[in-house]
Amino acid sequence: MIGGVYAVISIGLTLVFGVMGIVNFAQAEFLMLGMFVAYYAWAWLGLDPLITAPLAFAVVFVFGMAVHHLMIRRVLKAPEVAQVFLTVGLLIVLENAALLMFGSGFKSVATSYQTSALHLGPLFISVPYLAAFLMSVACGAVLWLFLERSWFGRAMRATAQNPMAAKLMGIDSDRMHRIAFALGVGLTAFGGAVILPYLTVSPTVGDQFVVLMFTVVVLGGLGSVAGAVVGGLAVGIIQSISGLLFPIQMQNLVLFVVFIGVLAIRPEGLLGRAR
Amino acid sequence: MKPSLKYTLIALALALAIALPFGLEPRGYATRILCLVLLFAAMAQAWNIVGGLANQMSLGHAAFFGIGAYGSTILLVKYGISPWLGLLPGMAAGGVAAWLISLPTMRLRGHYFALATLAFGEVMRLVANTWGGLTGGPSGISVPFSKPGLAVFQFKEMRPYYFLMLAALLMVTAIFAGIRHSKLGYRLRAIRENPAAAEAIGVDTTRTKIIAAVISGALMAGLGTFYAQFQFFFDPDTVFSIPAISVRVAMIAIVGGVGTTIGPIVGALFLIPIEELANQTFSDQAAGLSQLVFGLLLIVVILAEPRGLLEIGRRLWRWRGRT
Repeated sequence: MIGGVYAVISIGLTLVFGVMGIVNFAQAEFLMLGMFVAYYAWAWLGLDPLITAPLAFAVVFVFGMAVHHLMIRRVLKAPEVAQVFLTVGLLIVLENAALLMFGSGFKSVATSYQTSALHLGPLFISVPYLAAFLMSVACGAVLWLFLERSWFGRAMRATAQNPMAAKLMGIDSDRMHRIAFALGVGLTAFGGAVILPYLTVSPTVGDQFVVLMFTVVVLGGLGSVAGAVVGGLAVGIIQSISGLLFPIQMQNLVLFVVFIGVLAIRPEGLLGRAR
Repeated sequence: MKPSLKYTLIALALALAIALPFGLEPRGYATRILCLVLLFAAMAQAWNIVGGLANQMSLGHAAFFGIGAYGSTILLVKYGISPWLGLLPGMAAGGVAAWLISLPTMRLRGHYFALATLAFGEVMRLVANTWGGLTGGPSGISVPFSKPGLAVFQFKEMRPYYFLMLAALLMVTAIFAGIRHSKLGYRLRAIRENPAAAEAIGVDTTRTKIIAAVISGALMAGLGTFYAQFQFFFDPDTVFSIPAISVRVAMIAIVGGVGTTIGPIVGALFLIPIEELANQTFSDQAAGLSQLVFGLLLIVVILAEPRGLLEIGRRLWRWRGRT
């Protein structure tokens, strides 16, 4: 079930790569931002993170547009080295700016349903996990409708497939990139907000998710939204199983090994086609 | 630049580098920073073999660095083997590790290679943290003190370290320059420009890249030993750190000028003092500010000129010549 959430936070990463060809190493920092938006909405306004998840999305969406306009746009045609290190620089900046603004402490919200669980026959399902999962599914469905059905979604997919041809059809590719980037980071922030009820937020929370997100998208194939969903579920399952078999600190190790293995054997991902 | 001018400049820089520590307090902070500058320049230079010449952006060089640091230190702690001797198995282990990780990753390019190496560095960090019996686990490992001297690679003052670091930098730089002008260097650059064409004219691309990776990994491991003897104490999270080692060495090379011989030196001279200064100035005000400045600087340099400071300097030079 945790895999559904992984899927949503990773879709953002895969979307940015699919449309723009950039691997955003700072993606997990936007997850952290989304968590903080939700946290402060709870602390100041008393709103539940599940309700403010769209707010987190909106705030980070706007922020993402600005980041794209100021930075990402300028390295789209630059060598890969520049792209990688620009986003790594962004990661460092965001993490430390958060450290300055929010302090280094761990913060968490208190909700009424936090510790409750549903009984379904022999299974116990923790309510915050279930809520996060359902929100993620809803979000994924909306995104799917957007990409498949709306003019915007079509234009975006066209830009991803062939930027030149899309341009010739009168699509403003710069605008598409800006929106794709903002959408990507916004989705990740949304994911951050819905997982807040069962996690704590701190400026360094992104570190826990970096590799996880990359494993998800690489498993599914970088740039493939459907792949990210499959990858997310797969990683969720891998984590649960390795959690049963190995001590807790080995969990990430298993993930890394899977990650390197997939990269080596099928870099295009489980569902992907060779790019 | 004319060759004669080039050699004069190199000689001058070298003379300055040798004379510099005598003008500074031998135990002082400034000398310590210079040691770090030299060490990181050497590390960036080792990275440059893979990252610059072959354009394989490794983000996992901390793995080899940590292997070297742990290799020699474990041999010293458990068996009393001198770090000078421990250097060699450490380097061998670094080379073997580079070879092992090359096997599955050498076909990967660009982002994929960066991701895979990043994950490899993290694997090593987790292993070092978990395998406490060998490495001391998360609480770290200390180099035992003994009577200072060259034989045990321990000194009371900073100055001898400075000269050892300088020697290490010169050695790594000489190896880099040697590779650059050798068959291997030309092959690597052919792969960088166009792998398919390189393959077509008979370059064994996989073999070439693996050789470069092994040399780079072994050198990095050797520098890990230097670091261990310089710091006396380290833990897995420091030597296998992504931001502090893997990203930083790549960044130094890139900020200086990736693929060039003096790029990493320029980058280290520029970045390390700024970082230390920022650490010193801002440390009592707020945590994270110096890192923030560091990250901003990286973004600014990349946005201004992705080919690094050398290229900016070259442009300024031309611009000056025109007016």
